[in-house]
Amino acid sequence: MTDVVALTNERNQMFRDLFSGKTPKRVPISNPATQDFAIQYAGLDLAECQWDLTKLEPVYDKFCQDFITDTYPGGSIRIPSHYQLLGSTPIIMSSSGFMQHPEVVGLLAEEYDQFIASPYDCIIETILPRLYTELNGEPGKVAMALAKAMRVHSDDMAYLGTIRAKMNAKYGFATMGAALTEAPFDFMADFLRSFKGISGDVRRYPDKVSAACEAVLPLMVKKGTLPNPSMLGYTFIPLHMAPYLRDKDFAALYWPTFKKLIETLAEMGQTVQLFVENDWMRYLDYLYELPENTIMRFEYGDPKLVKEKLGKKHIVSGFYPITLLQTGTKQQCVDKAKELLDILAPGGRYWWQADKSIINLEASGPVVENLRAVLEYVHENGTY
Amino acid sequence: MLGGEDKMDSKYYETWEEYLAQHPELEGKPTQAIAPKIERYEDLMFTFIMDLLL
Repeated sequence: MTDVVALTNERNQMFRDLFSGKTPKRVPISNPATQDFAIQYAGLDLAECQWDLTKLEPVYDKFCQDFITDTYPGGSIRIPSHYQLLGSTPIIMSSSGFMQHPEVVGLLAEEYDQFIASPYDCIIETILPRLYTELNGEPGKVAMALAKAMRVHSDDMAYLGTIRAKMNAKYGFATMGAALTEAPFDFMADFLRSFKGISGDVRRYPDKVSAACEAVLPLMVKKGTLPNPSMLGYTFIPLHMAPYLRDKDFAALYWPTFKKLIETLAEMGQTVQLFVENDWMRYLDYLYELPENTIMRFEYGDPKLVKEKLGKKHIVSGFYPITLLQTGTKQQCVDKAKELLDILAPGGRYWWQADKSIINLEASGPVVENLRAVLEYVHENGTY
Repeated sequence: MLGGEDKMDSKYYETWEEYLAQHPELEGKPTQAIAPKIERYEDLMFTFIMDLLL
């Protein structure tokens, strides 16, 4: 067995242990920096590299070599080519090359009943033509646009998959598959009713919102299901709207279908990773109810309280503030890593990830040096 | 097949059984080879469509 294969096996075992509630050999680490960061770190043009993916292999090679991580530090569903071919309005490239999500409304309030009757039909017939200009027109033109977009997306994903396989083979990362889905309420908010729209709907049409969440739940389950559900791999679910809801609206409109989604995936043997965005401290008792070993990556909140309330049942992650990498000294950054290790690592069930992803890199700033120091510290001091 | 298809209730998504019922020309053909391929591309299209809204 080669050293790199042994390293992959070791890392896979760490994650199997972590995801099954056993204490792993050491605290697993995921580099929070993204493909956007890696391109800037390589000194290349962000927009050009996302259009010409052939430039990315050396980008990833340097990125993987220079920063310690147990998982492949990359991947993106926001590749610009298919969005461009579809005339996307919800995902667009900014002048600086970052893919951005402006506030959009794909579903009008008066269309709730149509959505509830058949969510997928409504998505195809009403929502996508409203959000993607090339899907709104003569059937032949729409068919051609969809065919081109799906082909380029497939080609882009295959190319990125090849790079990932090469990096895994070279650096011995854990080999985990992932699927992406959303809580039904968040799905209704993000691209359909918008932040502003759903915020009014919970007061004006709570019954419609509830029925829409129930109607779309099977699609969210299907979207979050890996072809072969397994412990080594997870369904990633970023959580958005709950911190902006009143407690009673969360209980009535957000929680029921969200809980069903997680329970259904868990019953299929699928590990789930929640990205608990913003501050969920008032919902910790709800989170405790979710199936054992649900992974919860927190953005904000009290790590001690989370460890105390959830740490014996679930897997805790996040909390490390990436803003500190920009504003703090190297020692302050390392001290923060130590503080979180001391709180969250005892007893296992801890995965080192930051509170959010690092997208932008200021070339003259301290982030590279500070991030490297933090990753090295956790790697060297996270052994059980 | 990913699961949940029985609750899709859509004219834009067909299970293999629904597809086969619409295509009698497949009778006698090697359905053990055809079915996974038809299902795979039905699911790939579903994932692509849903990713446009995530």
